[in-house]
Amino acid sequence: MEFEWSQEDREFRRELQEFLDENLPGNWDQISKDGPGSDAQAEFASEFCPKLAQKGWLTQNWPREYGGRDATPWRHAILGEEMWKRGEPRSSQYMNVNWVGPTIMRYGSEEQKAAFLPPISEGRATWCQGFSEPEAGSDLVSLRTLALRDGDDYLINGSKIWTSYCNYAQHCFLVVRTDPNSKRHRGISVLLVPMDTPGIEIREIPSLVGERYFFEVFLSDVRVPISSRLGPENEGWEVVTYSLAFERVGAPRYARAALTLDELAKLAEERGLLEDPTVLEKLGEARALCEASRLLTYRVIDLRAHDSPPTADTNVARVAGTMAERAVSELAFEIFGPEALEYGHSAEAHYRLAMTAGVAVGTTEVNLNLIASRFLELPKE
Amino acid sequence: MDFDLNEEQQAVLAAVGQLLAQRAGAERAIELAKKAEYDGELEAALSKSGFLDVALDVEMGFLEAVLVTEAVSAAAGVVSIGAQLLVAPGLTRRNLPGPVAVTRLGHRGPVRFGAHARTLLLDAGDEARLIELDPSKAEPVRSNFGYPMGRIEIDPIAGESLGPGSGATLRNWWRLAIAAEAVGSMGSALDVTVAYVKQRHQFGRAIGSFQAIQHRLAQCAVLREATRWMVYEAAYKGAPADATATAAAYATKAADQIFAETHQLTGAMGFTREHDLHVWSMRLQALRLEAGGIYGHQRAAAQARWLGR
Repeated sequence: MEFEWSQEDREFRRELQEFLDENLPGNWDQISKDGPGSDAQAEFASEFCPKLAQKGWLTQNWPREYGGRDATPWRHAILGEEMWKRGEPRSSQYMNVNWVGPTIMRYGSEEQKAAFLPPISEGRATWCQGFSEPEAGSDLVSLRTLALRDGDDYLINGSKIWTSYCNYAQHCFLVVRTDPNSKRHRGISVLLVPMDTPGIEIREIPSLVGERYFFEVFLSDVRVPISSRLGPENEGWEVVTYSLAFERVGAPRYARAALTLDELAKLAEERGLLEDPTVLEKLGEARALCEASRLLTYRVIDLRAHDSPPTADTNVARVAGTMAERAVSELAFEIFGPEALEYGHSAEAHYRLAMTAGVAVGTTEVNLNLIASRFLELPKE
Repeated sequence: MDFDLNEEQQAVLAAVGQLLAQRAGAERAIELAKKAEYDGELEAALSKSGFLDVALDVEMGFLEAVLVTEAVSAAAGVVSIGAQLLVAPGLTRRNLPGPVAVTRLGHRGPVRFGAHARTLLLDAGDEARLIELDPSKAEPVRSNFGYPMGRIEIDPIAGESLGPGSGATLRNWWRLAIAAEAVGSMGSALDVTVAYVKQRHQFGRAIGSFQAIQHRLAQCAVLREATRWMVYEAAYKGAPADATATAAAYATKAADQIFAETHQLTGAMGFTREHDLHVWSMRLQALRLEAGGIYGHQRAAAQARWLGR
């Protein structure tokens, strides 16, 4: 065991921080206040990600043959931490790097790899995730969107919901049912669908979370070639679970939470609140939760660095991350009081992000189910 | 960064595991508890095999010491393992004659191993003191909380001062020891509870198949996993104030929750001395109250992080 960054990793972090200082504009707080899905942030990312790519950092943990540098997953984790600390200047492109690309590498045909991986590693691809449906949320395998074979094509009909970034994404990583008579995990496939295909319509769902955060996607007789399928037909659930294992700890929320907590402590000191033992205790408790989340996420990265298959450690880390975010955002409310009610206030902005932690990317309840079955091996009914 | 045990660490764990399988365990802890006895034989066996020297061994260190502490605690060994393996060598850079008790000025109530200790490490505020005790003059105190306990009359100028500022060093190692012992105890408390809910049937099914129960145990598993890594990292870094206070704050809060959940989920059986749960669960509460308790650790974590003290 070794709990220390290598000299090279420390240098990389320092270089990256300097790069961010130079490349994030003075009004970055203003640009990022509405969240990664906002038009302003997406537009910024379209210029920022190619710069990151030019530095060789965007997909550095990918193999060289796919535009990476064979860097360790640790190096990519440092990138994620520094990006989240600043409110994710990659906008939606963090998803491409974290899980869309790796899943295409694992299951894609040579044509798919050639078509989709270079744009990602060059920082010019935008994706959205077509998983949830109105009747398939936590119980994702009850999804109903159908893609039926029609000659050399699939004809897709159905709808997806909560689809962030679909308003500007070029492609959708779409999970569908390809066997109409199938149930549950069987009969599912993954399709990589261009968002400008005729028959796709989107509708924004106004939300509390951020500007342009939630959308519905309606698919009516959407026709894509069979070659759009990623991985095996009807056995695509494996592809989905592979992608989810990467996604669940993709966003290092603890890094943002820990930074927010540092800012809160500073403010509390300025306001004389650190004389109050209760405030100190709450700060110490939240700090412990952030550290727990960081270490459990590192555990998952370490497993990846050792090429271990995904385990329920991912779910453990995710639950801990949610606890940390909640503690910090609640403490921010306590320390700022009614000031936090103003839209765009730092406590409000953190709360807006934090309140989704237990729901986004699989609810806490689903994560606990998986810990119970895989980690504790508790029996099913 | 590397979270895997190296070969040396695996070998240490395997060897101590073998020794503990023969000489420790819930049954022995229950037997010793009847007369509030200390396990001198186990301590001698651990010492003879070199396990009490790992912290200062040139080839090993404090990471190995927390692994052994966790293992002894998970096997319910009735020895002052955290004080001997972590606090004493961390603070004094030598191994001290056991049993070793740790307490602080102003402490009220019984002290773990206070009826048997030959060495006392005292948190006297700015300085720490090393005090020899005469176990024949000890005053045992009856307690339900898993460890043999005794009352110690504290003389603030007895023994040897370990120098200005040594009090803070003692508190850091003490917090690490508490958290490391808590990891072992919470792990075993959780293990016996998971085993129980798998075999206990009500309403025609194993109670462990109910989601209401699964989620609570899954949450406990998260707490246990996180505590482990926090303890390992703090040990690796040589027990700095922030990492040890943070680990202790998290560990004691986790201990409290795991105590409550494991007892709730084992029902009336968990309150008996015929079920093993109490061997570990009651210890969690004793650990939780030591060295200032949850709130003290939380304040220390905040002070270390943001006030530089």
